[in-house]
Amino acid sequence: MKANTRHHGKVTVVDLSGKITIGEGDIKLKQAVNALLDEGRKNIILNLGGVSYMDSAGIGELVACFKRARDKEASLKLLNPNGKVQDLLILTKLQEIFDIYRDEREALASF
Amino acid sequence: MGRQIKLRLESRIGYVDLVHELAEGLARRAGFSKSSALNIGLAVREAAINAIKHGNGMDVKKPIEVSFEERGDLFRIRVRDRGPGFDWAQTANPLDRENIYRTSGRGIFFMKHFVDRVAFQRRPGKGTEVILEKRFEQAARAGRSGDAVRSIKRRKG
Repeated sequence: MKANTRHHGKVTVVDLSGKITIGEGDIKLKQAVNALLDEGRKNIILNLGGVSYMDSAGIGELVACFKRARDKEASLKLLNPNGKVQDLLILTKLQEIFDIYRDEREALASF
Repeated sequence: MGRQIKLRLESRIGYVDLVHELAEGLARRAGFSKSSALNIGLAVREAAINAIKHGNGMDVKKPIEVSFEERGDLFRIRVRDRGPGFDWAQTANPLDRENIYRTSGRGIFFMKHFVDRVAFQRRPGKGTEVILEKRFEQAARAGRSGDAVRSIKRRKG
């Protein structure tokens, strides 16, 4: 899994690609989001467009990131979950707790 | 009786990808669609994670065993650990409102969603076996050229 970060004013977009699974992707996701929260970033978008799938550990880390952001009074939103990733968010009902966007401009403007 | 491929691995999380890729690859060769094969791979992945983490407690000295078999209209995978076992009937429903924010506890839920049947068998003194079964899709079965497990054995032979 790869995580590349871009800043758009007060909003940070993390472009994720590959798979978010136990032992690697979940750890990289945690590190990427923790680094942003430690820097004091308050508005984070995780771009899932390049993520092929996640397992239960990846889904769990996504929830953990959401909770850590909330605890630090930051906001974490999702962009472009596709295919299997979208299926998993629906299956786990996590689409009900995450703000999910299809359009990056719309996501950026939502903060 | 269908032929089998059996795999015996140390309890290392690093082997989970290997088990997933083998499961998905064998499912594809057996004639499952790409999407169904990924589902099978994901279910087996979760069973392997469960066996390594919760079954064997990450003890590398305790192996996990994974077997793949085509039997009748079923693709069957067994994942065995050597752990003390756990009460799989008591796992919380991750869809319940109070569990939605939990960061774990979705593995068995995923398994049950991705294959047609999941069964747990306690093997007294030996650990737990998880059996995952997926029925062959009718169209895929009609189109498949042969037994995936057998074809791999042929190449190896």
